[in-house]
Order: sequence, then structure tokens, then C-alpha cells
Amino acid sequence: MMWIRIFSVVLGFIGLVPAGAMAELDRLTDEALSDVSGQGGIYLSGDISINENGGPIDNSYYGSCEDANKKCGARFAYRLKEDGGWMVLDDIRGNFAFEGLTLRVRSVDSGFGGDGQEFDSDVVEIGLPNIVRFNDVRFKIAASNEARPTAPNFRQTDILSVQMQGDVVMEGNMLVFPKGNP
Amino acid sequence: MTSRFHKFIKVCRVFPLGSLALAMPALSDMQSLDDADMAGISGQSGITLEMDLEVGASQLSYFDDGKGIHLENFRIGTSEAEQGPASHVIKIDIEDDASLNLDYLVDNRRIEFRDITLDGVPGRGMGGVFFDHSLAGNFRIRSGGARSAAGTTFDSVFSMTDGRLGYRTNGNEVFLDDITMNVEALGITLDVVGQGLEINVPRVTGSYDIGAIRHSGNPSNHGRSRDAQSGQLLPSYGGLSGDFDLSTRFGIAGGGRNGEGFRIDNETTIHSANFLYIDDGNALGFRDITGRYNINDLRVDVTDDWAGRRALGLTLGSLDGELAIGGIEVGQANGGTDRASFGQINLDFLFIDHAYNGRSYTNAAYLQGGGHADAGPQGLQLAAEWSLGNADLSYTEDGNRLIFSGIQSWGRGDITVNVTRDEVRNGTRFYDGLRIGFESLRGGYRINGLRVGDDNAPLQGGTELLLALGVYPSYEFDLDGHITLGAGGADGAGLTINSDIRIRDGRAAIIAAPYNEGQGERSQKGLWLTDLDYDAHVRDMTVDVTEEGLAIIKGEAWSTMDVGNLRVGDKAGGKSFGRFVVQKYETGSSMTVIPGGAGAVCAGGSGSSSSSCEASGGRWEDRGDEGVTIRLKQIFAKAVSESRKNAFTWETNRRRSGGAPVSGTGTQLVLNDIYTSDGDGSGSNSFGIQTDLAVDVYQTKVVKKTDGPDALGVSGARGDEKIMDPTRAAGYRYVSSPSSAQRQNRPLGFAVQAQSQFKELSINNIDLVHPTGGAQTMVYGVKMQNVNINANLTATPIP
Repeated sequence: MMWIRIFSVVLGFIGLVPAGAMAELDRLTDEALSDVSGQGGIYLSGDISINENGGPIDNSYYGSCEDANKKCGARFAYRLKEDGGWMVLDDIRGNFAFEGLTLRVRSVDSGFGGDGQEFDSDVVEIGLPNIVRFNDVRFKIAASNEARPTAPNFRQTDILSVQMQGDVVMEGNMLVFPKGNP
Repeated sequence: MTSRFHKFIKVCRVFPLGSLALAMPALSDMQSLDDADMAGISGQSGITLEMDLEVGASQLSYFDDGKGIHLENFRIGTSEAEQGPASHVIKIDIEDDASLNLDYLVDNRRIEFRDITLDGVPGRGMGGVFFDHSLAGNFRIRSGGARSAAGTTFDSVFSMTDGRLGYRTNGNEVFLDDITMNVEALGITLDVVGQGLEINVPRVTGSYDIGAIRHSGNPSNHGRSRDAQSGQLLPSYGGLSGDFDLSTRFGIAGGGRNGEGFRIDNETTIHSANFLYIDDGNALGFRDITGRYNINDLRVDVTDDWAGRRALGLTLGSLDGELAIGGIEVGQANGGTDRASFGQINLDFLFIDHAYNGRSYTNAAYLQGGGHADAGPQGLQLAAEWSLGNADLSYTEDGNRLIFSGIQSWGRGDITVNVTRDEVRNGTRFYDGLRIGFESLRGGYRINGLRVGDDNAPLQGGTELLLALGVYPSYEFDLDGHITLGAGGADGAGLTINSDIRIRDGRAAIIAAPYNEGQGERSQKGLWLTDLDYDAHVRDMTVDVTEEGLAIIKGEAWSTMDVGNLRVGDKAGGKSFGRFVVQKYETGSSMTVIPGGAGAVCAGGSGSSSSSCEASGGRWEDRGDEGVTIRLKQIFAKAVSESRKNAFTWETNRRRSGGAPVSGTGTQLVLNDIYTSDGDGSGSNSFGIQTDLAVDVYQTKVVKKTDGPDALGVSGARGDEKIMDPTRAAGYRYVSSPSSAQRQNRPLGFAVQAQSQFKELSINNIDLVHPTGGAQTMVYGVKMQNVNINANLTATPIP
């Protein structure tokens, strides 16, 4: 959970990086990094599974993965209107593994076709793992009248199901840095 | 040397320090015997004295350069009543070698003073101390010291029973109860060396048991195990037990840091020691302790502190040492073999004057009377300054060692100590227990980096690994508040903690580069929580040692962490991501810290055996018996007020004043009122977020991500594994297909096996707040249900 917290803090910034600024940055090789000082960090590998053997709720809707009449995945619901319906990601399950996600802070003051010298700032560098393996990752997108599936008069319409299997190649580094007025 | 110190030395040659109270129980109080007393003297080979002794003095004073410190209402007498004598029986023999041999029995004696005061500070005292004991022992004195025939040699052996050692302020007291102790110290020598004394204790061995550490908030109680009114046993923090085998040498000379005073130097070697904290039959043990420490140039003066306040000043030249704890264990207290180990700890440390962030710090403590201003006239105020110039802390489990290298800490401020009771006094809320207060305490710490395997391994980054244990790699803070340690846990003995902590102008690192890579100190680059204000409150949090581990149950806890700027790069000048505010409100959350990590693990696959794991594509790892498992239950309560709720705010585009962004003037994204529940619509909230974290130091697989030389110039191909090799300059090399033996030399890191699950987690609303337009709700509710996340992660430091 702690690592998840760390990831959530860092990955939360990804969406905040201006696309224009990111587009001009290229990946540095290890050799190019050799003259960058103060760059210690950590190297992360591992696998994460979501509801591989079900969740903690056992009721009329959720239950064992062996029970075909019940759902054992996680459920995420939100609504955009005060008295509106709920958008739902339902029955979320799966497993993914990665090797070599790195995390560090470093200075960019050269390279990148000359842009680095002009940039001259510190960044959080997330070194992407070469391959992320998705194993039977699945969820359903649905619309529902209640957040809880055990509520009275609960109704839900499943819109589509998603299933992911296989490898995703993620090479290079993601650089996260502040921009604009904080 | 002053004439006063000459007199002191003469006294010390007869009554060695430390043994004065215990081993020479009556000599200093000898009086002429009348006929009735003489009738009690018998024996052919010596003299037996039987005495009922009571001594009192309204004030005992020590003066240093005309400034006095006073022990008020000093008394030696019986411990069984407020008045009356204590029985002493002493048999005195002169041996054939002209040594003086004393066999003594002391029955239920109390040595006490009711307060310690300083000249020029009327109406404020440090509090009183009492020491109860019965003694049976032998004390032998003979001529000839370690340095010359003019010295003296002592042997002392004694057993203490019915011991009680207490500290009392304003009618409240904390005391060690039911102490038994056995000590043997042979061949203690006392010599005059140069301008001072040298006391050499070549070996002192002993053992002790402290049945309970008790608190009383009833002024009618004074050194009693049971409450005077109810007759009930006073609540207990738990007991202590241990043994030791030490050698120590003291040097004591005249002359303080300024004018008169004392200088003390000490070298101590811990040959072996064990220490147990016992809570209702379960023990947290620190076993197989060895080490040494040197105190260099400790001066004792009655003087003024840096703010001109009169104090007993202890100023230190330096303190260095090493400490090795062979096992930190949890198990049954009384000889039980069912014990589990967290692993081993080694610590090297050096307290010495040093400059941090451009400011010099020393090591000093100025003891003053009073404590917290509202707690009453008695208490201890410690104006303290510290400078930990360097420390290395290593953690070893199942033979794998990680060293947190180059730890530095510094600070200055006031620490107050009071024994308090549950009341509102002078407008301040106090709680039952020992209250440790912090007043304008400005301090910090930082860690240079990690070394893996041994002390000579290359310095690496990776101190971020400590975040897994809730520790920032670097932290500077301005601290106010208190922690009150109450007696009694969730059940029986243990601790109850009430705390209010406020941090201002903090700077905490989430990621931090080394501050010194060998070319001198420099500003640490990193990801920093700066302009940090943190308010944290805890009520009725209990801490107990159970059969399983260390159990912590929070009654009610709420906090607000307001990060003015999340900066990347330099902690002062780095660019900011904006302001982040995290509010937490928990009721009934708990944490259990359990010895032992993940054990056998199938990483990256599934299966309960090596073959089934590898068949599924996983990697079978036996991470051993040691390690740490943390079992968390976090119950996020629904909001009850603006200050007691769970919320997250991100603010940017703030108006500036004096160049600095002003909080609350920008645009905010607010995740408001985040709470857990049991998801059944009943409103119950007992499941919370349950997380099990098993943390081991273990070999981790590190794969090269690109072809060619890496940051340290070590070449390899993409996909090659990093294998540690001390014969290489960088300490490692890359191997395309490592053998089984080479895989045993994979780099060490933290291996974390985690499971986190919750039944329901809700966010009441997500708002966008404009500084003039006000709040607009963007999302009217989020609910996550039936979540169960399992993770096997390894984190390895990289250079």
C-alpha cells in the first residue's frame, strides 16, 4: 500500500505535464546520464493483481470467483449530476507485471537537440519499464441507477466488456516537471 | 584546582562515586553510640552495627562561581512511611591484608529530595526524586590503585530488592516499581591522576527486573504500588528486565566550561547485554547487545543558557560509539522459546560540533525548573541543542544487510517534561502520564545514501525506500506540541498516548540525492514537501506488546498536512507543482508490527511450491524467517467538521505576495469527505482499508534497460542482469544468463509483499474552486467497492 501511495503521488503528476513541453524531450541513454550527478534513485519491479481471488464482500451481488451467479471483481462508480445515474467500471480483475520502473530526480541542462540547455531545470524522471505484461485484465463499462448494487430497485446496463492480455512495450523516460504559476 | 574540588576529591577517595548511596549505606551518617546502641554490637572478629537511621536536611546546595543549585527537603529514612528511620546492620572487619570489609543489610530505605531549585528562579523547581530499596551486600576497601600505591581499590557485590525509583512533579509521579537487581563489581580502582580522579571499573556484571513502571495522578500516593483511596494497583506501562556485562573508566576533574564546575570523561565497553520490555507476559527483546561509547569533555556548570535563563548546564565535547543489537525479538517473556525476530541492528554514531545549512550546532542540555508553564511550579525544562555529525545505521535480516549511511541530525529548542494528570489546568488540557513537550524546537535530519552489503560498498541513492516505513529521507521542521505517555494499554499494562503536534515551515524529502558524494557537502536535489505545516492530534492511542507483535490502536486521530509548495530540485529554490493539502480523520484504526517478513513467495506467478510457481512463470523466493510485517487497518471516518475529515486539495495559480504564492488565493481541485464503510448501507464502518505489508531485505532482479555503458561506465547489453561482484571497480557487472551461483549475488533491496483490501471507499464530492467564482461540484460522488489488491514489489537502490 505504501508503494501504491508513492506511485499514486508520482503518477498523479503525469497528467499535469504540458504536452508541448514533453514532445520536445527525447530519451537519454545510460551513457548520456553518466555525467549527471546527484541522480540516485530506486529501481522497481513486481506484479500487481486486482481481485485475483475475489474481494472482501460476500453478499447477494459479490462473492466467490467460482460462483457464476456472483461477481468477484472490484467496482468503481461515479456520477456527474447530483441526482443523476452512475457511470460504472464493474467486475474489475486482472494482473499486470513490470520490470525496471525507475524513479529519480535529475537536472536537465543539455541534450534534447539543444532544448535541454534552454530548459535547465530539475525533473522527476520515471524510467518506464520495457515491457508491462497484462494477464487477463478485464472490466465492464456500465451505467447504473445506484452506486451500490445491493440497493433496492438496483438496475444496471452493461455497455461493453474489456479484456486485455499480452505485453505492452513502454520504453524511455517520462519527465515530470512544474510549469506555470504554482 | 579549586580548594572546593580538593575537598571533593578527598571525600571521593573514601566514598567512591556511584557506590556512595548503595554500597556505603551508613558511614556518612555515623553518629556516637550510646550504651543501648553498644549493646547491639557483638562478634569477636569485627564490629556489628545495628542502627535505625533517619537523616533530614531542608536543603543541600552546590555552588559554582557563586551560583547555587539546591536539593530541597532531602531525607534518608524508612520507605514504608513518610517519617521514621530505616534499619541498617553493618558488620565491619579488618582483613589480614589490612583491607576493610563491610557486610551490610539495609531494610526498606528511602533516599529522597522533594525538589531541585536554582538560584534566581523562585517558585520553579525541576521536581522530586525518590529511591526506595533494601540491600544486602559486601563492600571491601584496600589500599593501592591502578596507577599507584596511593590509590584505592574497591570490591562491591550487592543485591537490591523492593526497589522503587520515582520522579514526582506537582503531586503526580511516575516510578519504576518492584525493582530487583544483582550487581558484582570487583577491582574498582580510584586514583588521583593529574588534576583529577580516575575511576576504573574493569568489569561490572549484573541483572535487573523491574516489575512495573507505574503512574499516579493522585497526590495522596507517594511511592506506593496501590492507589491510597481505591486500593487498586496503579496502572502500569509494563516491566523491564535485563542483564549486563560492562567495563568502564571515568575521569573527573575540576573546571567547568566557564570557571568552576566539573569535567567528566568516560569510556565504556558493553561486553554483553540483554534488554526486555515486558507487557502482560509478552516481551519485546533487544538481545545480544554489544558495543562501546566514549564521552569526551562533558562539562557540568551552574550557568545560563543561550537565552540567559539560569540552568544546570551539560555541555559536551563529543560522544562517539558503536552499538550492535544481535536480535530484536517478540515472544514470551519468561524463558519461552516461541520468539520471532525482526533482525539485527548496528549503529555507529558521532555527536560533535558541526555546521548544517550554514549554521553551527553543538551538543548541550541546560536543565531548568518549571516544565510546561501551565502544568504547575514543578517540572523539567531542557534547553537542548544537538549535533549528530555522522551516523550509520544498518539493518540485517537473514544475513542481508542494508546500511543507511551518513545520517546527520541537528536542532535547538526547549523540551519540557512533566508528570501530569487528566485535567484542564490554567487553560491547558493535560492527560494522565509523562508529558514530553516541545517548544519552538527547530531541528532536522538527513541521510546521505545507502550502502548495500558492507560499510565499504559504494554509496547509492535509494533512501526513498524508507518511505515504505513512513520515514522521509530528509526532514527539517519547527516543532511545537506534546506527546503524553500514559500507563495502561488496550488491555492490562502498556502505553496510552495522547498527542498534539504542530510542525511549521517544514521541508521533507520524498526523493533525495546524497548531500555529500565525496566532494564536500552540497544542497540535496530531490522532490520536496516544502513550506510544510502539519497539525496532528491523537487521542487514546494504545501500544501493547502481544504474542504476535507490537499492537497500536488509535482511538481518534486527525491531522492536516498543508504542503505550501511541492518542489522538484532544490528544496528552497526548486520549481513548484503547487500546494497540496491532505486532511485525515480516523477512528479506531490500528497497526500491528510483526517480526518476520514474507517467508516463501512466488513472485510474478502463482503457486505454493517452487515447481508450481515456476510452472506459472513466477520466481520462487524464500525470503527467510526475519523481516518486518506491518498489518494496518485504517478506518476513514465520515466528516464531522471542516478540521476532522478526510480530504485532498491541490491548488495552483495562486496570487503572489512578496514573490511567494499565497495559499487559498488560487484555483483548487478538492476531493472532499473521503471515507470508508462496510458497504452494506447500514452506516457501519469497521472493516476500513486493511493492508498487510511484509518487508524483507532480499536479492532483487535488476535488468539493464539499454545497450552500452551505464551511469557508472559498466557495459552490458539490454536485458542483462546486474550481478554484484566486489572484484569489479563499480562493485557489479552485467551477465546475460546468470548461473544459479551468480543469482545468489543479485543486488539487495527491499522486497515488499502487500495485500490491501476494502469493502467500500467513497468520495462525497469532487469540486473545482475558483478564488472568486467559488466552488463548483464536478463529481457528485465516487464509490469503490470490493477491492482486493495484491502486490509483490522489489525496490533496489540505483547509483
